[in-house]
Amino acid sequence: MLSVEIAARLGKFELAPSFSAGDELVVLCGPSGSGKSLTLQAIAGIVRPHAGRITIGDRVLYDSAAAVDVPIQGRRVGYVPQGYALFPHLSVAENIGFGLQNTDRAGRRSAVESLTAATGLSGMNDRRPHQLSGGEQQRVALARALACGPRILLLDEPFSALDTAIRAELRDVIVSLHESRGIPTLVVTHDLADAFSLGGRVIVVEHGRVLQQGTREDIFYRPATRRIAELVGTRNVLPMTVQGWSEGVIHLDWAGRAIAAAIYASHAAPPLAPGQPVEASVRPTQIMIRRPGDTFEGRVNVFAAKIAHEIMGAETYRIFVKLPGSAAGEDLEIDLPAYTYFRLGLDHDKDIEISIRPEAVHIIHTA
Amino acid sequence: MTTLTPAREVRGSGPLVGLTWVFGPAALLCVLFMGVPIAALVWRATSSGALTENVTSSFALDAMRLSAITSTFTLAIAIVVGTPLAYLLARYDFPGKALVDVLVDLPVVLPPTVAGVALLVTLGRRGIIGEHLQAAGVDIAFTVTAVVLAQLFVAAPFYIRTVKAGFETIDPAYERLAWTLGASPWRTFRQITLPLAWPSILAGAVLCWARALSELGATLIFAGSYQGRTQTMPLAIIGAFESGKSIEVPIALAVILVITAAALLAILRLIAGSVPRRAPRA
Repeated sequence: MLSVEIAARLGKFELAPSFSAGDELVVLCGPSGSGKSLTLQAIAGIVRPHAGRITIGDRVLYDSAAAVDVPIQGRRVGYVPQGYALFPHLSVAENIGFGLQNTDRAGRRSAVESLTAATGLSGMNDRRPHQLSGGEQQRVALARALACGPRILLLDEPFSALDTAIRAELRDVIVSLHESRGIPTLVVTHDLADAFSLGGRVIVVEHGRVLQQGTREDIFYRPATRRIAELVGTRNVLPMTVQGWSEGVIHLDWAGRAIAAAIYASHAAPPLAPGQPVEASVRPTQIMIRRPGDTFEGRVNVFAAKIAHEIMGAETYRIFVKLPGSAAGEDLEIDLPAYTYFRLGLDHDKDIEISIRPEAVHIIHTA
Repeated sequence: MTTLTPAREVRGSGPLVGLTWVFGPAALLCVLFMGVPIAALVWRATSSGALTENVTSSFALDAMRLSAITSTFTLAIAIVVGTPLAYLLARYDFPGKALVDVLVDLPVVLPPTVAGVALLVTLGRRGIIGEHLQAAGVDIAFTVTAVVLAQLFVAAPFYIRTVKAGFETIDPAYERLAWTLGASPWRTFRQITLPLAWPSILAGAVLCWARALSELGATLIFAGSYQGRTQTMPLAIIGAFESGKSIEVPIALAVILVITAAALLAILRLIAGSVPRRAPRA
């Protein structure tokens, strides 16, 4: 159980994160300069807050009220900084064993052996960091951080310097290490795909503060504010007005169009009065385009639309559609596989029909 | 000098053809100007047939022994007191840091004779500290100690500057990481910082030693030139000329200094070559 509630001033930047997490995998996600890395460094003892409290389990690492500030050496955190900071003059085994200075030679050797096995580094003991690939360096940094039996694992942008294939591999290493060690693991990333695929709990940070924390589904599909929706890549944030309620569904008015949104039990909503203006987010991947021959029977939230323009990616196409009567800036963005784009014969200026599941319409509670 | 960057990457990259007749003669003249006197010195020393005899004269032997001992002491002291200062300057901000920086730079640009006078008014018999030492029966000026102090004043900055630059290129992330692994600051310095700074420590030591070996002005004023006591090799060369002795002895001493300097430069090159061109950044 990790609990962080601190305030630190670093130049003009104010760091004031507040969150807690069990022994789970937690992803600290936010744009660059949001204070994610500084939060990790504060837990590690590298950055000193001026107020607040940091605890892991029943152990207090920092408490301004009780004048507790455990020095870096005594915190027992497994810290993997961005760029890894592997000691360039030491071999893989020496790097991993660096934190085991109080262990005898035989104990150190067997500890290093089991760590290299756990991280898939067997047979590389005598190599130097510059002889390793990026993925291998990351594994050495992980093994080194785990060597001294840390109470928490802090990983700063672990995937940032790696290519896609290695990322997936390393993600599995991190997830399985976390499962086998059972210690809180905090992963900092600015990459949304990484944040989502690591699973677990997601904490969104900006300007040194926690904006929202929850399951990845909470964060990605049900962002609490417009800003969070933007940060997690939900580009369709639409102005709507509450009309009324029925079984499990809120009826909304979207610039003259009727649209229904599902009510989530997990997202206990304050009552929405009819006539109240709200904003609703729809993820670009959750809008369906009608196939020729599909009657769209039983579907709700069906709208006619026209493709305004498209951006082609290698795997996915992003199309921008205009709904009849919609004003400028009210276009919907839709992401779809390139394959689907061609199979549906989509093109510029083509008239299509779209449908949005009520579950995909998320009401953002504007204050 | 202190960064030891080889210019290999740009060699032969431009079209030199059009420049050959402009740059060639100028460069040749320059090389000749520097090379011929050295060659003449070596040629003269070896052709006289009495090089061994001149080198083994007590006058020359005394100077060589004194130079070797004093410059080694100077280097040792520079390493012991200069390394901590270099580290502090590279890693920490403290009040008066700019002043310390200037102080460390000053001896590099000052004429060594100024250093000699400064040392004399500080530690000389009537100097502000020297007169108290004198009263306590300690006499520094015109002793071997004075030679070492004069060399230290002039040469230590070369060590400090080089090592400071070396520490600065080491990413503090390594040290921080060692701390998170439970290593004490002292262990971190010994096992992480020092090994990473090793090439610059070696380079700084070579520069410092070479400067101490060639020290003349400060020594002459603060320590005088007494054979066997304060007369180092550069002083012996001057002494031999002034006393109207045969010119062969200073020539022999000069050749030995040339050989030593060449050896030091070779070591410096070796160090530069052995350092992989990776910036030690995390």
